[in-house]
Amino acid sequence: MKIRAHTVSEGKAEGEAVVYNGPFSFMGDLDPATGTVRVPRHPLEGKSLASKVFVFTTGKGSGAGDTVAWKAKQKGTAPAAIICLESEPILSGAAIASEIPAVDRPEKNVFELIKTGDHVRVNATAGTIEVIEK
Amino acid sequence: MVLTDEEKRMLAGEYAPGMQRAMNLLVKLGNSFDAEKLVPITYGHVSYDGCPEDFWNLITEGVNPTPHRVTTHPSYQPEAWKEWGLPLADQWIDEHERKLITLKRLGWLRTETCAEYLIGITPRKGDVVSMAGTCMQVANNSLFGARVDRMGALVAVAAAVCGRTPMMGLLLPKNRYASHLVELDDLDISDWTLSHYHCIGYYIGDKIPGFKPVVVNGFSPNLPFDFARALVISMPTSGAVTLAHIVGTTPEAPILEAALGNKKPENVIRVGKREITKTWERLNVWDDDIVEHVAFGCPHATISEIGRIASLLEGKIIKTSLLIGASIPVEALARHQGYADIIEKAGGHIVSVCPSIRNPFTLKDVAGEKQAKSAATNSARAAHYLATVGGVKVFFGTEEECINAAITGRWKGEIPQ
Repeated sequence: MKIRAHTVSEGKAEGEAVVYNGPFSFMGDLDPATGTVRVPRHPLEGKSLASKVFVFTTGKGSGAGDTVAWKAKQKGTAPAAIICLESEPILSGAAIASEIPAVDRPEKNVFELIKTGDHVRVNATAGTIEVIEK
Repeated sequence: MVLTDEEKRMLAGEYAPGMQRAMNLLVKLGNSFDAEKLVPITYGHVSYDGCPEDFWNLITEGVNPTPHRVTTHPSYQPEAWKEWGLPLADQWIDEHERKLITLKRLGWLRTETCAEYLIGITPRKGDVVSMAGTCMQVANNSLFGARVDRMGALVAVAAAVCGRTPMMGLLLPKNRYASHLVELDDLDISDWTLSHYHCIGYYIGDKIPGFKPVVVNGFSPNLPFDFARALVISMPTSGAVTLAHIVGTTPEAPILEAALGNKKPENVIRVGKREITKTWERLNVWDDDIVEHVAFGCPHATISEIGRIASLLEGKIIKTSLLIGASIPVEALARHQGYADIIEKAGGHIVSVCPSIRNPFTLKDVAGEKQAKSAATNSARAAHYLATVGGVKVFFGTEEECINAAITGRWKGEIPQ
């Protein structure tokens, strides 16, 4: 199944999906040393985003989010690709500066069509998402 | 996006490799938001110590001194950290010094504050400014009517290198009208302190989806500057608000209809006593009442705040460590005024560092085994970051409650009911 989406940050990547129906900030939410979510009581607490296709709603929080994304990317703990409903400038800048492929505004409901654990291919340059169910 | 010939040369790498990378980043970001063009900035603001060194080196490589002004966020002060006996301070000196060499080469100013409007650097209404730091963005956008878009710290360095930023988001007048309205319910604000304004700002930020502009209605005209500032800077902590109008106080909100662009708000959020109590409780994350550190000056303190703190500390000796973040000129004034002497005699420090996200006393990678395990503050923004980034227990209360905690080492703060 293919879903069309809008290009945020060019590139191609694929991997296992982690789906979270809420906003995300690299600063505070992600531990760049390990690539895991470190917020107490967060639905993704302890879960690794490293090399995953991370599906969520939008960005939030500190302007230093892009510095954390950059550090994670250099360490190899960043998500492989990002799919979100509607990006915002800090999240988009983080993906572009760190060269993490990212798309937003998917034309279908990704929270219904993509489940955590699905294998997902993102071609951010072409603006396509391909879901290969597990 | 349409680029000028000069911008095309910057993008082609005719000037410097760093400038080419910076331009590439701005163009890609602009394209992803359908920006029509880049616009010149009146000035730029960056966080150099907050920028990873490898990125900093790439983006500034070969760049000549910039013709436009660039100012800086609070930096690290490893020499001061060392004086205070923080064991891992040494590890930060070399990187800090290396970045400073580049900063000076570029001619960028070491203002090193998150409150430049307190030291005479203020944008005019309509000035386009690119900025790192969401507290700077929301304050300059809201309180002065500058055009500042939400922007990450890496992109802010790119904008400062190029002297340009994509024409998008809150730079466009049509996007500056509030879509969300906040109304105050049956609140007696006559005895409100700074902390109350921090508290409701934190509540509002959490209730606004994304970075939609918001307007707050219900305060008397010309809300004192310190209160207006506390209200707006707390919003991007719990959420992503980057522009907050206050009716009768901020320049784009002489009346409610002006802030809303004569449209109906998408949503109305009501704030009453219950919301204040619940938010105040939420900001307090602790089990026992032992306080090891007290943090003031998030955002950087005004001279009035420092004066009040000094009068509460006069002749006292504190049991905790105490840090007041203030800009270099405000610190100098506090020294001139005799306030700094009182605070230092009591055992406190007043320096132009960040007392929240990068508070050296609560960060394990600076303080090591001397890391404070708990901290009290009167700022919702500091409370949030001391807990989430520092990972310490946090007491949120009024200035007076925080000073009492510094003197006794115990928390006796009360939640407003």
